[in-house]
Amino acid sequence: MLSTRTSWQVTRSVWHAMFIREALARTMADRMAWFWMLFEPIAIIIVMVAIRTVIMGSVHSIEGAEFIPWIITGLFGFFLVRENMMRPIGAIDANKGLFAYRQVKPIDPVLIRCYLEGLLQSFIFILFIIACSLLEINLVPADALGALFAWLSLWCLGLGAGLIFSALAGLVPEIGKILRIISLPLLIISGVIFPLNFVPHELLVYVMWNPIVHGLESLRGAFFPLYRPVPGTSLLYLWYWILGMTTLGLMLHVRFELRLKRQ
Amino acid sequence: MIKVEGLYKRYHNHHGSDWVLKDVNFEIPTNVSVGLVGRNGAGKSTLLRLIGGMDSPDRGQVVTNSRISWPIGLSGGLQGSMTGRQNVRFVARIHGNRDEIPDIVRRVEEFAEIGPAFDEPVRTYSSGMRSRLNFGLSLAFDFEVYLSDEATAVGDRSFRAKATQAFQDRIGKASIIMVSHSEGILKELCQAGLWLHQGQALWFDDINDAIKAYHQSTSK
Repeated sequence: MLSTRTSWQVTRSVWHAMFIREALARTMADRMAWFWMLFEPIAIIIVMVAIRTVIMGSVHSIEGAEFIPWIITGLFGFFLVRENMMRPIGAIDANKGLFAYRQVKPIDPVLIRCYLEGLLQSFIFILFIIACSLLEINLVPADALGALFAWLSLWCLGLGAGLIFSALAGLVPEIGKILRIISLPLLIISGVIFPLNFVPHELLVYVMWNPIVHGLESLRGAFFPLYRPVPGTSLLYLWYWILGMTTLGLMLHVRFELRLKRQ
Repeated sequence: MIKVEGLYKRYHNHHGSDWVLKDVNFEIPTNVSVGLVGRNGAGKSTLLRLIGGMDSPDRGQVVTNSRISWPIGLSGGLQGSMTGRQNVRFVARIHGNRDEIPDIVRRVEEFAEIGPAFDEPVRTYSSGMRSRLNFGLSLAFDFEVYLSDEATAVGDRSFRAKATQAFQDRIGKASIIMVSHSEGILKELCQAGLWLHQGQALWFDDINDAIKAYHQSTSK
């Protein structure tokens, strides 16, 4: 019954099992799980639109893009990164009992959670695009391939961050708390609610260090044909970050595998 | 066959770290069941974890050509938030027998005899129910060596009878390496004994001699 399998076959079956386990936990955790998955973005969008209307009542328009689609693309792009960064932090802890099986490594739940989270976010985003089309809000990407690539890049960025922080939070639990605190400022400096075109040039140089901005602006550029992304937006820069973070994350998981298992 | 060569293991903590296992050498022949005895903290569970591949030694190695189970015990092996059935299905999946899942689930359910609790989260189980499930789960796979870390300690009479029966059915096919403080079950299931004392492992061909040596060291 148990024949010798190759490492890849073992990994495949672990991922398969872990995916089913995580998908059930994520969507069936309580009766309202599905409802919240949809309602949370709706609520946040409403709140953000309200804040923007109150604070920046006069400067309502963004050049080349309608306001509501602009904010929706930004929020979803940001959620994709944030969820992929935050969800893996609990992943190792939530599957501790399963590391008794030597086939399961601490990195498996992390990868699976990122994969699952990306799938869910993509699904919800598509639902939103369809719903907006029905409401006659134009949220269909002009350059679908470009949008897909920017979306995948943001997903990968989240995965890289998730790999790093899941390992670090396993070693130093406080890191999870700090990340939760900085997630709101990150939302603001990533240009999700306020267009970065208003930021003075001297400051913009530093704002553009943040890789999320590059992903979000590329995503918007692909959605709205007339939209001009913030000057300096570069997917290449974003990919330097992705490759760097993923490599560092994988290295941390290799180095600290046993310590992550034990805790 | 399991061969342990020059095994060293210590756990690092903030106030220095003594060797838990210090130059441990032994060889367990195929189809010989071994009972591990020793006082609390002597390194019995650590040794099982090393044999099971859950942890890696600081020095030395464990050489084997047998299929070894995970250490069956009270802690670990089961995820508290999942139901018994989900845990069983998960373990069946990671062992890669997708087509046999219903069969495995049925066999575990029959062995564990925990009734409707099988569909409740494992965290609601009593320790006896956990060990029934965990033991049944490992028996559903054809391992050549089973590792038991006090899994039988909390079992009631019928469970012990079943566990004994399961191993007697497999004589010649499977063996067990068990940690237990109940000598009855050690004598029933094991032939040889291994006494862990001050980081060293002493091999006895007869489990009774191992228990005797352990008793003599404690009565002093």
